[in-house]
Amino acid sequence: MTTFTLGSAITEGLRKAMEADDRVIVMGEDVGALGGVFRVTDGLQKDFGDSRVVDTPLAESGIIGTAIGLALRGYRPVCEIQFDGFVYPAFDQIVSQLAKIRSRSAGSLSVPLVIRIPVGGGIGAVEHHSESNEAYFAHTAGLRVVSCSNPNDAFHMIQQAVLSDDPVVFYEPKRRYWDRGEVSPVADRQLHQAAILKEGSDCVLVAHGPTVATALAASVAAEEDGYSVGVVDLRSISPLDTETLRAVAARSGRMVVVHEASTFMGIGAEIAAEITESCFFELEAPVLRVGAYNLPYPPASVEDAFLPDVDRVLHAVERSLSFSEER
Amino acid sequence: MSETHRSNLEKWLPNETDREGQPMFQMLAPDGSLTTAGKSIGVDSDLVRGLYRDMVLARRFDREALSLQRQGELSLWLMSWGQEAAQVGSIRALRDSDMVFPSYREHAAALCRGVRPADLMRQWRGLAHSGWNPADHRFHIYSLVLGTQTLHATGYATGAVLEGSDEVVATYFGDGAASQGDVNEAFNWAAAGRLPVLFFCQNNQWAISTPTSTQMQTPLHVRAAGFGLEPYHVDGNDVLAVHTITGLAASRIRDGGGPAMIEAQTYRFGGHSSSDDPKRYRSEEEFDLWTARDPLARVEVFLRTSVVDDSFFAGLELEADELAVSTREACKQLTGQTLAEIFGNVYAEPHPLIERERTANAAFTALVGGDL
Amino acid sequence: MEFLLPDVGEGLTEAEILTWSVKVGDTVAINDTLVEIETAKSVVELPSPAAGVIAAIHADEGSTVDVGTVIVSILEADAEPIAAEPVPDTPSPEAAPAEPAEPAKQPLVLVGTGPTRAADRRLRLKPRDRRAVPVGGNEPSISAAPPIRLLAKRLGVDLSSVRTRPGSRITREDVEAAATGAPLSEVAGRETRIPIKGVRKVSAAAVTSSAFTAPHVTEWLTVDVTRTMEMVGRLKADRAWAGVRITPLVFVARAFLLAARRFPDINATWDEDAQEIVLKHYVNLGIAAATPRGLMVPNIKDAHEMDLRTLADSLGDLVQTARDGKTPPRDMSGGTLTITNIGALGVDAGTPILNPGESAILAFGAVRAMPWVVEGEIVPRKVTQLAMSFDHRLVDGELGSNVLAEVGRLLGDPGETFLHV
Repeated sequence: MTTFTLGSAITEGLRKAMEADDRVIVMGEDVGALGGVFRVTDGLQKDFGDSRVVDTPLAESGIIGTAIGLALRGYRPVCEIQFDGFVYPAFDQIVSQLAKIRSRSAGSLSVPLVIRIPVGGGIGAVEHHSESNEAYFAHTAGLRVVSCSNPNDAFHMIQQAVLSDDPVVFYEPKRRYWDRGEVSPVADRQLHQAAILKEGSDCVLVAHGPTVATALAASVAAEEDGYSVGVVDLRSISPLDTETLRAVAARSGRMVVVHEASTFMGIGAEIAAEITESCFFELEAPVLRVGAYNLPYPPASVEDAFLPDVDRVLHAVERSLSFSEER
Repeated sequence: MSETHRSNLEKWLPNETDREGQPMFQMLAPDGSLTTAGKSIGVDSDLVRGLYRDMVLARRFDREALSLQRQGELSLWLMSWGQEAAQVGSIRALRDSDMVFPSYREHAAALCRGVRPADLMRQWRGLAHSGWNPADHRFHIYSLVLGTQTLHATGYATGAVLEGSDEVVATYFGDGAASQGDVNEAFNWAAAGRLPVLFFCQNNQWAISTPTSTQMQTPLHVRAAGFGLEPYHVDGNDVLAVHTITGLAASRIRDGGGPAMIEAQTYRFGGHSSSDDPKRYRSEEEFDLWTARDPLARVEVFLRTSVVDDSFFAGLELEADELAVSTREACKQLTGQTLAEIFGNVYAEPHPLIERERTANAAFTALVGGDL
Repeated sequence: MEFLLPDVGEGLTEAEILTWSVKVGDTVAINDTLVEIETAKSVVELPSPAAGVIAAIHADEGSTVDVGTVIVSILEADAEPIAAEPVPDTPSPEAAPAEPAEPAKQPLVLVGTGPTRAADRRLRLKPRDRRAVPVGGNEPSISAAPPIRLLAKRLGVDLSSVRTRPGSRITREDVEAAATGAPLSEVAGRETRIPIKGVRKVSAAAVTSSAFTAPHVTEWLTVDVTRTMEMVGRLKADRAWAGVRITPLVFVARAFLLAARRFPDINATWDEDAQEIVLKHYVNLGIAAATPRGLMVPNIKDAHEMDLRTLADSLGDLVQTARDGKTPPRDMSGGTLTITNIGALGVDAGTPILNPGESAILAFGAVRAMPWVVEGEIVPRKVTQLAMSFDHRLVDGELGSNVLAEVGRLLGDPGETFLHV
């Protein structure tokens, strides 16, 4: 076992993917000499050259659009979008072009392309640098959407994403880039499988990316109060691992989904609907959601009050436990 | 500006070349001497003193803000260091009533429009997403998503045409942003509609770590000409040249000549932001080359040799010191809105989800203040 | 002042100390370079936020320090402002010149720096034993709709013990049958189907309606009733009280009435249609009675006006009439507060369900001899448990607690007031 930060685990994962297949091309703004603003591509241009690690013009639509062209010729581009809030200029290329090429071509064309996006808040950044926009892409048929929460997953999931013949939006939790953890040499599960990090008989928390650590902390806090609260790391947002979600929901009877994005029309709403339908007769309380308020991401000075924290999660757990008392 | 004066100026364009050998306009050489064009066109010494003062104060403010970032008082700072002449020279050549759509590094221009240091820092202290009311300064809030503001300026200018106004709408952007689709759409849109837009590019040679040569093959002013914009290419570290060219372009636009584009060659002395390390991607030699072309140094030499005495500099330095102290003081006193207040800013009209969440947030805040 | 390592890049958590430009004892001005640090993003020099003398350096060169850690202490100068030095022609931001000192009186506030440190928890989950509706481990093999699960909890029915047809979901009827202890006889085949009608139907509808209309909160209190039991014994032996049916229940009823007199807001009704709260200035005291026909709750009209003797007589009559199945309909309606004597069934406590339209119900558990601490000594005492449910729309936790505590206090120390109106 070797210890990596989440960011450097992605670097190493990309390196493996590039060594394994010389058609893997890393491209984006400042990914070359600078190594990306979060240093995730640090050293790759030195090792693989500037034709495989490409500093692009400053144009997100151009990055994705040209990567589609490369993919159509058999390359496997890994595009970096510098910050979550800068992906929107590429929105048309992603949702109208990238996502649809396979179905438009009646299944004859594949676009194996990975879009890496540093995501989420909690780093005291200025506007457009702290957003959680996974629901936009999860809502689009034709895209796969995954979200890593720890170095080991980051290392393996980026390689699995590169191997996918479908387009994959790969979210990296910014505020966890510097978290350290052990990385095992072999992947312990498929890209789209959720991970049960902790079983719980009273309630289960479902999180992904940056909120997995929050959910784990809330679980420990609940344990101090005498409750068994489990944690599931979704890892994949599209497709959802509904099998695992159903199993844990049926076992504990209570589920709380925690994510950084606003709850309205979000991932938590989808999970709540899915679990309510499939586990209606096993549920002790409705599936509850904890997310950001339905506001544009606020200035850094108030982001701690905006983002779900342990207390917000505990509050939802308490509501779930006492739901039978509420009317 | 009269037709005659304009054609007198135009015959000097361009008179020098930039580093790639592209012809550009210059009045004050880096050594502080007037070029032939500078001598011929002539220099208003009051104007030079004023422009120099603006630049010195802007640089001092910028440096104090960076220090405040290093001391943890600002969460981030984007330095205007090195781009003072491009900003001061251009904004001072516009009318105060001309609307400006800046990018995010236009602190020197903002100060010239009366934006207070505290209001400039508010956003970077993490307290707000903007710092001032654009109507107070005819200076729009900063745009952090690159190039988007060029289309806003174009639309704003459409309104000016509809109203028969002789306003010029100016917009600042950088060499990196020029790669975005929005900027090129704005070029085309403004040219197609002959709209009164002045596109002002501060080509500071770097988009974070990406040099201009990676962004484009054709110089931007040449590209602009292809779109049908009146192109100008100027030494952006020469405040006199920038002022003259901007005045010329604005006058032409105001008289119905259609949109123009000024490419000002300048240099970002600092990193992209306070958290960027330019040493990772650019050379000391390049930094030294541009240090020799510093926009303030050449004006100081010019002023000392021809126009003013030491007391002017001493007085200005005192003023800069006072600005630094008041900047530091103002920064620490800045406060922002609470989350509860922010709920009120999202929609103009009542929205039930927002109301529900505002109530839930208030209840939760009260709850964590007490016991569950 | 203490200078904390700031986040000099978006979201950095730590930095390495490269070179100190100052040593202990050096005098520094604002913005003098203190130290050069290297982060994941860049090498930067940190300017001094204050003017003064370096008192201590807390981080060695070569060490890696977390953002927010104190790296240097500066003894601030209260001196006159230091004269500014000349501005260099091409200043570097890292080598910013000194300028007039401005004492920083507070430690640096790190604004929006780095990944959010997880705040300490402030909320706690309510303990299991204080919940009105218990939280049990889920049995995934049990298939029941949420309202049925709720009903089972309200009625104290363990779903895993409910018998139902194999493969089918547990129904409302299954839970109610389990709650009333109705026999599921296997004499005729494997099941017996009993029509739901009469008192059972009415009471089932009543408890269900109440359970789903009024938000219930139940509070518990264990009380030493030795002195009440002594008084019961004394009165029974007193010739003046001959013929009066004195029971502990009479004392509980009396205590409840006195508590309601002291805290009259406990006696109210929620009028949903009129959107009004109706405060009652009278008490029709309901007594839950197990009868051969099922649960009935006849009430004693205007019990608030009764002294102990009248109350005891009324109570005796009421129960007997109910057991005889002769309760007139008027005695079954208009109740305001209710007592359920579950102790008579040999149990200690339960979570009573409100009689529909009422605001509180008091459950009186079995009176047992228990070890009890009196003035530091364990002594045998007569102890009971009281459980009071109330409609949380009408009664807040403070009021409910006050009433229950008052009932407990009166039963613990029944005085002469008990005997009179």
